[in-house]
Amino acid sequence: MVDPIISARGVDIFYDTKQALFDVDLDILPNKVTALIGPSGCGKSTFLRAINRMNDLIPSCRVSGSLTIDGQDIYDPAVDVVALRAQVGMVFQKPNPFPKSIFENVAYGLKIHKLSPSKSELQDRVEWSLQNAGLWNEVSDRLDQPGNSLSGGQQQRLCIARAIAVQPKVILMDEPCSALDPIATAVVEDLIDSLRKEYTIVIVTHSMQQAARISQRTAFFHLGTLVEFGDTKTIFTTPKDERTQNYITGRIG
Amino acid sequence: MENTHIVKKFDKNLDKLKARILEMGELVLHQVEDATAMLGAFDPVEVDRILQLDLTVNGLHKEVHDRAELLITRRQPLAVDLRQTLAPINIAGELERIGDHAKSTAKRGRILCRSSTEETVLEMIRQMSTKVQEMLFDVLIAYTNDDIELAAKVRMQDKEVDTLNKNLVKSVINILDSQASGNSESLIQLTLVSRNFERIGDHACNIARYVHQISTGEDLKASI
Repeated sequence: MVDPIISARGVDIFYDTKQALFDVDLDILPNKVTALIGPSGCGKSTFLRAINRMNDLIPSCRVSGSLTIDGQDIYDPAVDVVALRAQVGMVFQKPNPFPKSIFENVAYGLKIHKLSPSKSELQDRVEWSLQNAGLWNEVSDRLDQPGNSLSGGQQQRLCIARAIAVQPKVILMDEPCSALDPIATAVVEDLIDSLRKEYTIVIVTHSMQQAARISQRTAFFHLGTLVEFGDTKTIFTTPKDERTQNYITGRIG
Repeated sequence: MENTHIVKKFDKNLDKLKARILEMGELVLHQVEDATAMLGAFDPVEVDRILQLDLTVNGLHKEVHDRAELLITRRQPLAVDLRQTLAPINIAGELERIGDHAKSTAKRGRILCRSSTEETVLEMIRQMSTKVQEMLFDVLIAYTNDDIELAAKVRMQDKEVDTLNKNLVKSVINILDSQASGNSESLIQLTLVSRNFERIGDHACNIARYVHQISTGEDLKASI
């Protein structure tokens, strides 16, 4: 049995007095794509954002229970959040390149984490990241152009390149294809599949078909609880819980 | 039994698919019944009518396929919905084969009418026919109501049909050995008809397995 890279035990999350997640136990296995699905407001994004402490930005948000990465408590006060986010990268729904050149977008994380001491090393790292994000061939001759001059799908792959540049262990993706057309979506999905050889990916998606296509494990959240978690094939063919069945088949529960 | 879909048309699409299968099932059930009647009392007009039904059955088979294809394209069904969409394609195939066996039976009535038939053997055939009609009727009810217990009952009955078929073959061999009958052609034809009913029983069992699979996701054929 492979040890989980991320492990949640009894995780409760509150926004002020409102509880958004209830007693979540969930293990994320390395080199797998884990999809988090469920209706809006079910807590899946809240859980995703808890993994790299994006919720710290919301003063009213409080997390209790145990959430660890490689056995280390993510919420230990001694944890350096910037270092944590180098280990746990994030890609958002809307591509959000910095208002800088393509090169600078990818080099940014390497610079702030001081991961590339020499200029040539920095260039190598940027090229490697763009290669692995499947973008190099499209941008290699215009690295000095603004990141936001690219198409939506290219911008999203630029954000993925930026995330992998610092060689995180885990990449969190919050509906990364919802703003993309089907072709750009297919390119990103193909990329996700090749990235899982090196990284662990946790993805929130509203597309059941996407979850079924790209993930190996699927977690279904409903009203703040983790209802069912297991192999993607099982969740989408023979879910155990009626709430899961109702959700994935679009039935009124 | 199940909750309805948010998209009401999804339920309508699935209902129509089911209705076409039941229509097909009812047709082939009559085909089997009517073909059996032709064994003892041949009527060329009636046999032609039974053979012609094949066109309607084939048309329905195609319609089931087209509807399922469109449903997959439009709704991308998952889990039980996907099984409710895919199973009809297979069930329609089984029903079409049953129709073919009914046709074959009706055609043999033409040959049987030329010579005297062995009444005891014919009676065994009628017994088999009654049994497989019962199985077919039950499996259609099981499909209508997602009733996996009734489907299990149908599967259990397959052995009875197999036994009837074996007994018939034995009886025919005995008669031929004792040379008590001069109508070997009709005996051989009846053996072939018996084989038709044995196959119909198998197809009814296959349908019963699909009924089980729709509700449970479990493929009984794979687990055997």
